[in-house]
Amino acid sequence: MKRVKPVLEVRDLTVRFTQRDTAVDGVSFQLYPGEILGIAGESGSGKSTVARAVTRLIDAASGEIFLKGAPITHVTGKRQRAVYRDIQMVFQSPAGSFDPRKTLGDGIGESLGNTGMKRSEVRERVGELLRQCGLGEEFAGKYAREVSGGQCQRAAIARALAIRPDILVCDEAVNALDVTVQKQIIEVLKDLQQEYGMSYLFISHDLALMQSFCDRLLIMQKGKIVEEGTADEVILHPKKEYTKRLMEAAFLFG
Amino acid sequence: MRKLRRTRKQRRMRMQRLAVFSVLAGLLLLTALFAEQLCPYDPYMQDYGSVLSAPSPAHPFGTDRFGRDMLSRVIAGARTSIFSTLVLVGIISVSGTAAGVLCAYFGKWTDAVVMRIADVCLAFPGLVFALAVSAVLGGGTGTAVIALAAVSWPKYARLARSRTLEIMSSDYLAAARLAGDAPGQMIVRHILPNIAGQILVTAVLDMGTMMMELSALSFLGLGARIPTAEWGSMMSGGRSMLQTYPWVVLAPGSAIFVTVAVFNLFGDALRDCLEP
Repeated sequence: MKRVKPVLEVRDLTVRFTQRDTAVDGVSFQLYPGEILGIAGESGSGKSTVARAVTRLIDAASGEIFLKGAPITHVTGKRQRAVYRDIQMVFQSPAGSFDPRKTLGDGIGESLGNTGMKRSEVRERVGELLRQCGLGEEFAGKYAREVSGGQCQRAAIARALAIRPDILVCDEAVNALDVTVQKQIIEVLKDLQQEYGMSYLFISHDLALMQSFCDRLLIMQKGKIVEEGTADEVILHPKKEYTKRLMEAAFLFG
Repeated sequence: MRKLRRTRKQRRMRMQRLAVFSVLAGLLLLTALFAEQLCPYDPYMQDYGSVLSAPSPAHPFGTDRFGRDMLSRVIAGARTSIFSTLVLVGIISVSGTAAGVLCAYFGKWTDAVVMRIADVCLAFPGLVFALAVSAVLGGGTGTAVIALAAVSWPKYARLARSRTLEIMSSDYLAAARLAGDAPGQMIVRHILPNIAGQILVTAVLDMGTMMMELSALSFLGLGARIPTAEWGSMMSGGRSMLQTYPWVVLAPGSAIFVTVAVFNLFGDALRDCLEP
């Protein structure tokens, strides 16, 4: 069998906020095409920091990040902007990820406008994206404060999809939403994955949700990966005490 | 429901207040703009036949010791006083904001150097600095504006810097970065529109203070030069006659009072509407 090359490879990634405060400590993993990789862990375990490091929103102290085989660990300027054609992100707080002075449509179309697309084409494409994510075209003219959390997160997914990335990083993308809305958003993400075959890096602390959604799971504790395997392996047969505790918390309250 | 209705009523009252004060501020600006057309007499024409005459139908604000019509001089002074204040506030708000945004955005040594310069400027007493600048450049309204601008911009730099840092840690700026925005695009599209309201309110509220400081400099003889009609220097010229011919001081004094009050109230109303 021919070995598939990973779309994203992280080797020995370390992120420090201060000399003493190491948020991510020697993390390595691969994300393969079409795969949904979950990163779970309690808050403060460094999972969101991993998300921000692979999207180059924060700098790595050491280690390497490869996107489709090319190193992106230290890219800046134009080359950094080029990275965002392949990797996009959905943030935890839907309303906070849209500029309060801009409409949702402006936010969704921003990346398209930056590629030099004409305004009329951008408008058309924004409407298309909104429909794909289960919203009407009229949402393009609304502000984040005028719509519900679930609607806003759908718009955020539409924004992340606009440029047709290969990788979508979801940083606690559904955790701020109530349970029924969570389900709807997960359905949208599943449908889109089937349609475009993207890879997801899905970050959450909700193991119950991740069992049904993710192919593989990484469990993080204090900046390190303590357990990894297929979702079923990790959740049905956890090896570490920490993972068991996370599970108990998730299935007790989830 | 009752609460909702009250807030709607409050909002309407705020808008009305803003409308009233913006009309008043607009009237002051129009007076400054059309000063020449509005003056009943030539503000510089001396008439030794009616020196220091009390307010009368012919001269509603009286005349000064050269027989010049005080009403005309107050109107002509509006141009000097209000326009120099506008220019001053324009310079400090634009340059201060630019400095603050760039410091916050580029950080590191840019931030360290510019903010230390701001600290030095802030630590300098404005009037002393103005004295020094006037000594080097000579007196005049322009010099007074430069001197006050040099010590007043840090306020805007600090405000813009802290707001920009706040915005830069927000998810929507991260989203803009992910959308492929270049640094300039992020500043123009996302940072400036989000801080403009606060800067504008601060600038309008600063109009009063800056007008007083400019007048104070003129009063001390460092600003507008005699015989230019300017409220501060007019008060200075008449101060020895305060007890005998009070209108010579009261006319420009009231003009300063009214203008400062109108701009402060306008600034308050603007703040209430922009930052509920």
